[in-house]
Amino acid sequence: MKINILITILIAFTLSNTYAQTSYSSVPIPAKPQQSTIILYGATAHVGNGEVIENSLIELENGKIIRIEAAKGGMPKASGDVVDISGKHVYPGFIALNTTIGLSEVGAVRATRDFAETGGLNPNVRSIIAYNTDSRVTPTIRSNGVMLAQITPQAGLISGQSSVVELDAWNWEDAAYKVDEGIYLSWPSMFTRSGWWAEPGGVKKNKKYDEAKTSIKNLLDQAKGYCNGKESYETKNLKLEAMCGLFDKSKKLYVRVGYVKAMIDVINLLSDYDIEMVIVGGQDAWMITDLLKEKNIPIVLNKTHNLPQRKHDDIDMPFKLPKLLQDAGIDYCITIGSGWDGFWDQRNLAFEAGTAAGYGLTKEEALATITSSPAKILGIDQTVGTLEKGKDATLIISKGDVLDMKSSHIEMAFIRGRQLDLDNKQKQLYRKFMDKYGQEKKQH
Amino acid sequence: MKKLFLLIVCLTITLSTFAQETYPVNGVYDEREDAYAFTNATIYTHFNQKIEKATLVIRDGRIEGVGVGITIPKDATVIDLKGKYVYPSFIDLYTSYGLPELKKSDRKWSDPPVFVSDKKGAYAWNKTIHPEFSAYQNFSVNNETAKALKEAGFGAVLTHQKDGIARGSGTFVLLSDEMDNEVILKDEASAHYSFKKGNSPQGYPSSLMGAIALLRQTYLDADWYNTTKDKKEFNISLAAWNQLQSLPQIFEVRDRLDILRADKIGDEFDVQYIIKGKGDEYMRVDAIKQTNASFIVPVTFPKAYDVEDPFDAMIVSMEDLKHWELAPANPAILAENDINFTFTTDGLKDLKAFHKNLVKAVERGLKEEAALKALIHTPATLLDVQNHLGSLERGKIANFIITSGNYFDKKTKIHENWIHGQQLFISDWDHDDFGGSYTLQVADIDYQLDIEGEPGKPKMNIVLNDSTKIKVNGQLKDQSVALHFNAAKDSNRVDKLGKGVIRLGGWMQEDGKKWQGKGQLANGEWVDWMVNYKGEVKKKEEEKDKDKAKGKGKKNKKKKADKDKSADNNKEEEKYGQVTYPFLAYGWTEKPKAGTVLFQNATVWTNESDGILEETDVLIQDGKIAAIGAGLKADKGVKVVDATGKHLTSGIIDEHSHIAISRGVNEGTQASSAEVSIADVINSEDVNIYRQLAGGVTAAQLLHGSANPIGGQSGIIKFRWGLTPEEMKFKEAAPFIKFALGENVKQSNWGDNNTTRFPQTRMGVEQVYMDHFTRAKEYEKQKADAAKSGTSFRKDLELETLLQIINKERFITCHSYVQSEITMLMRVAEKFGFNINTFTHILEGYKIADKMEKHGVAGSTFSDWWAYKYEVIDAIPHNGTILHEMGVLTSFNSDDAEMGRRLNQEAAKAVKYGGLSEEEAWKFVTLNPAKMLHVDEHVGSIKVGKQADVVLWSDHPMSIYTKAEQTYVDGVCYFDMEQDLKMRTALNEERNRLIQKMLEEKQGGGDTQKPMPKPSHHYHCDDMHPYE
Repeated sequence: MKINILITILIAFTLSNTYAQTSYSSVPIPAKPQQSTIILYGATAHVGNGEVIENSLIELENGKIIRIEAAKGGMPKASGDVVDISGKHVYPGFIALNTTIGLSEVGAVRATRDFAETGGLNPNVRSIIAYNTDSRVTPTIRSNGVMLAQITPQAGLISGQSSVVELDAWNWEDAAYKVDEGIYLSWPSMFTRSGWWAEPGGVKKNKKYDEAKTSIKNLLDQAKGYCNGKESYETKNLKLEAMCGLFDKSKKLYVRVGYVKAMIDVINLLSDYDIEMVIVGGQDAWMITDLLKEKNIPIVLNKTHNLPQRKHDDIDMPFKLPKLLQDAGIDYCITIGSGWDGFWDQRNLAFEAGTAAGYGLTKEEALATITSSPAKILGIDQTVGTLEKGKDATLIISKGDVLDMKSSHIEMAFIRGRQLDLDNKQKQLYRKFMDKYGQEKKQH
Repeated sequence: MKKLFLLIVCLTITLSTFAQETYPVNGVYDEREDAYAFTNATIYTHFNQKIEKATLVIRDGRIEGVGVGITIPKDATVIDLKGKYVYPSFIDLYTSYGLPELKKSDRKWSDPPVFVSDKKGAYAWNKTIHPEFSAYQNFSVNNETAKALKEAGFGAVLTHQKDGIARGSGTFVLLSDEMDNEVILKDEASAHYSFKKGNSPQGYPSSLMGAIALLRQTYLDADWYNTTKDKKEFNISLAAWNQLQSLPQIFEVRDRLDILRADKIGDEFDVQYIIKGKGDEYMRVDAIKQTNASFIVPVTFPKAYDVEDPFDAMIVSMEDLKHWELAPANPAILAENDINFTFTTDGLKDLKAFHKNLVKAVERGLKEEAALKALIHTPATLLDVQNHLGSLERGKIANFIITSGNYFDKKTKIHENWIHGQQLFISDWDHDDFGGSYTLQVADIDYQLDIEGEPGKPKMNIVLNDSTKIKVNGQLKDQSVALHFNAAKDSNRVDKLGKGVIRLGGWMQEDGKKWQGKGQLANGEWVDWMVNYKGEVKKKEEEKDKDKAKGKGKKNKKKKADKDKSADNNKEEEKYGQVTYPFLAYGWTEKPKAGTVLFQNATVWTNESDGILEETDVLIQDGKIAAIGAGLKADKGVKVVDATGKHLTSGIIDEHSHIAISRGVNEGTQASSAEVSIADVINSEDVNIYRQLAGGVTAAQLLHGSANPIGGQSGIIKFRWGLTPEEMKFKEAAPFIKFALGENVKQSNWGDNNTTRFPQTRMGVEQVYMDHFTRAKEYEKQKADAAKSGTSFRKDLELETLLQIINKERFITCHSYVQSEITMLMRVAEKFGFNINTFTHILEGYKIADKMEKHGVAGSTFSDWWAYKYEVIDAIPHNGTILHEMGVLTSFNSDDAEMGRRLNQEAAKAVKYGGLSEEEAWKFVTLNPAKMLHVDEHVGSIKVGKQADVVLWSDHPMSIYTKAEQTYVDGVCYFDMEQDLKMRTALNEERNRLIQKMLEEKQGGGDTQKPMPKPSHHYHCDDMHPYE
């Protein structure tokens, strides 16, 4: 890093110096709003829409990108802080969908799990109010570039409502970026395993599949009726009320489904309603790209770092699935997903995209799968997801290629112009014990 | 035309061929000497001996004579079997006939764990070991179950209770409908075993490896019990076990790999099992032949899948598709390989399918003689009852079937099954053919009576003229006649005959050519009647033409059949898939061989002092790395690989893997299960081996899970894809055992039902170790004392294993998370004078890296996992780097089938977190795990003389964009990216071919089954899924 006088000012309140200071809490203090203009100079800017600007100049003001262009001539003289980041890479902050960030702290400890409500139909349940801004896990995720996340309820047939948060905040109201933007539906499985743990039977057709399907249809019909005529209702139904957003399109319906036949079933059922649906999972989506395109249904893919569904599948099927959807012109994004590791493992989001780049996508296409594409699916692409003028100054700066573990090293990150403290509990422990052993710290 | 014999209809009296000597008789003594002579039959006296026009004479349930020119005893009832076949009745060695139905255990998961047997009495500690169960003491004739077996041609069966691991003795019985006392031919005929725990409510064994260990220990215990003079305990089970050892030992398995497992146990204890297989033996026939075992195989051939919907079809696995096609060839393949086998009806839902499937097996190349041998001869010899059964010879028991023709013809029916001289009527004989034109004289009218149709189903008509016929109904059976018809159509004579039905009753004479009797006209008048044969039925011209054409067709068909037969020899007739190794997608059909390969101009990561060499050549030959250098020359026949721009490394070694394990990764039912071994349950047929080869992995330690403080022994394998479990073992690797600490072993996350197994705290964990190692030391002394005094000594496999650890003959890799317990285990080891070899996971290792370094223990960690449970909240991704910097031998492992194929990427995280050099980071997944497993002399680096386990990468090996293009183990290329693409094409073609064939099957009216997805289970440390 070429250091000039100007950036030392900047560094004074960020980066290394803070590490030496005593923290007020074990999670970093949320950053203050952007005070002065910041100019990021000289880096390769990966816009997130496929475009790359070598030797770029990016100006941030009041939390927005007000200028992004190829730097002409030398270092600009500007009124604000000019940071020379030549040789480095700038990316839009990553956006993680379908996560349990802030809803889960220690996987096996029940008291720390707040993502699975009891009861099958919970459209009224809202994840945002359970979002824990003080999670020790979140700082480890954002120090790998994830700046926004959709926090998502799990379990049941209808799990509840998701919201989008920024990963640097004092409290959930502060964190909220788009509240209650979606309802998650876990589509019933077509097959069940009979027997129990000690005496597993074979796999059978789920006899309750049709029943579950009908219950979803009934709920949608009733909700539609309720939402149309609720003025005349004496009693308020919170569940149906919560679904009204689907019909006025203020909410999307996210459907967890993967097997091709089930996907076709979902699409057929939901075609009867004028609602916006998103398929989450969709491992067989490559088989029905025509249908997806015709119905304009985006796909939120789970991990590329996955095993093929079936033993005879191409061994690289999960790796190349993004490429198959890309070629078919489907809107899709890549996620870590909401499995047992759906919170802490979000820090590896960029590498899921990196693998897709190893299997057919260009690096910029791969980047889009975790920046502009998820923004579009969430409906927040007017403000985030790319490095474009007028959008939020939510971006990250890495020493090397951020999609590759061996070169990803994020040195700075901004959420709406606020520069984050990228320290986290794990880095603290690293320093603590390197100090104990008197070892030289190669990193901070 | 007429075959004349007396048809014996079902006998209603029990043939008391063997007097029930000890039973009093109520009434008049009625013992009969029954003699029968069966003449003019084609008789298979032996599986390989056929006599035409032979006679079989039986008396009192035994055979008196068989052959041509036999004198028929005067008192014998003669039965003419012209055109019929006689075979010895079949024998099934795998039934539960006549035994009480097993009550299913009503145990629920919510019930607390059961540690020792709840069976009252002086029995084995483990309820699944019950050799004391005697089938003969529980047997009772059951005509209902016997019926289906008899109808399928069986005359005698071996029956045992199909429950548990040591199941007790089987008894050999006749299927005749006699008193229980009379049908038992051999009371204790066999001893039975399996790997299935069955109805025992006990927790142990919860895994296949546990079942194997329990069998081993029981052999040892029984031997100790047998040789101990001053017994300290009386044990009914062990005594029974010993008593059964001289009998044929029959072992039921679940699949082909189980065969190898059972045989291995047999070899250890000098037992040759007869193995009851699953019908998939052909999938590993070479290895199975080497067992020298005899087999009892089912003829349960799967139905085709209903694959009309392509989305349904795609969930059917390759092995299921292929097995559908190849299963019927299993018997033929066994026979071709000179493997001794017999058939069982076991597994057939409907025994009617037995004949159908046997015919299928014969169509698929099983020679009739081999089939008969398997049905008749082999089972008799296996049970050593060939003096009584298995052939038709004088003095043997009269068990035989009468069939309509060659048994292996599709259309052939079993008419009768004689058991112990007792006749069972199964299907109608061919009836006499009364076809012809007759005159019927009744009430002074002469009618023309034409009889057509199949024998037994005559179509009788009175022909008035060309267009008018009167249908005649009735029966022609056993020389008697009963006819009736309505003469209303014959308007001319209705006055004479009356309006209504005319009924005629009577008898046959003159060989059936003349019938006569009395009849009653519609008006009630009694009349005489007579029928005389005149000749063949005259056919109308057009019908004749039709028949001619038919006949021609038949002829043509016959010609075609002949042609087909010759085509069969050329194997043009029907295409069948090939057996692949392993028998699933991506298996090979031709065993890949070690080649001589020269990689030119590669970037070589040597993992040696040479570091990373640019533009370097590497030659592999005879499975070893032969040369490293610049400008190496390729001799003739050397495969040259242009590796310009590519990277060559040694293969990745996964210190902690749970792939390729059959039925259970944990024997977590006791705090210590040191006696169990993953090496016993290696699953060579796991596609993850191939997937990981594609990720550059060449070897792995397959570890027991982490459910208990002292887990089980490891299986360390090389990824020799397609070879057998035994062949996959990394022979040079040191013996290892898995230990575990923390939440898993104290069952923190197992729910509220698991709060009773010791230990429940970290405090208890230490005491488990202290206790077990103390006992092991004492055991060592007792063993030495016993050896000195020459007294018998109970060898304890668990303590033997622990002793190996103390004596530094076996090494510990210990699942561990927090610093307190890690330090504890090091101190326990030090107290007993040994070192811990490896801490695996070791997520808080960085907190005590200095102590670890001092103890000399290695650390095999995750790159960045954390937060999934309480004991990992302080895990940091810098752990690997800190451990390394502090001088601890460090590696990254997967513990995960998915991550296992991306360990190269995981290594890069040591660069990302903590800033380790790339060269050292790469060793985290190659050389360092090799050192941990004590195999670094053989693998782990690119060094001349080491085994050629190498990977050619398209790019920097730790880059996320890189791909393993070729992966070699012992110089054999087990993965090649180009080859993989070809395999995918071939795989799709093969799937499509089979799917088309299944569609044809369905269109042809064949039965189908609905496709169901098969969940593939990927084990992790704390998996407690059961194994059955």
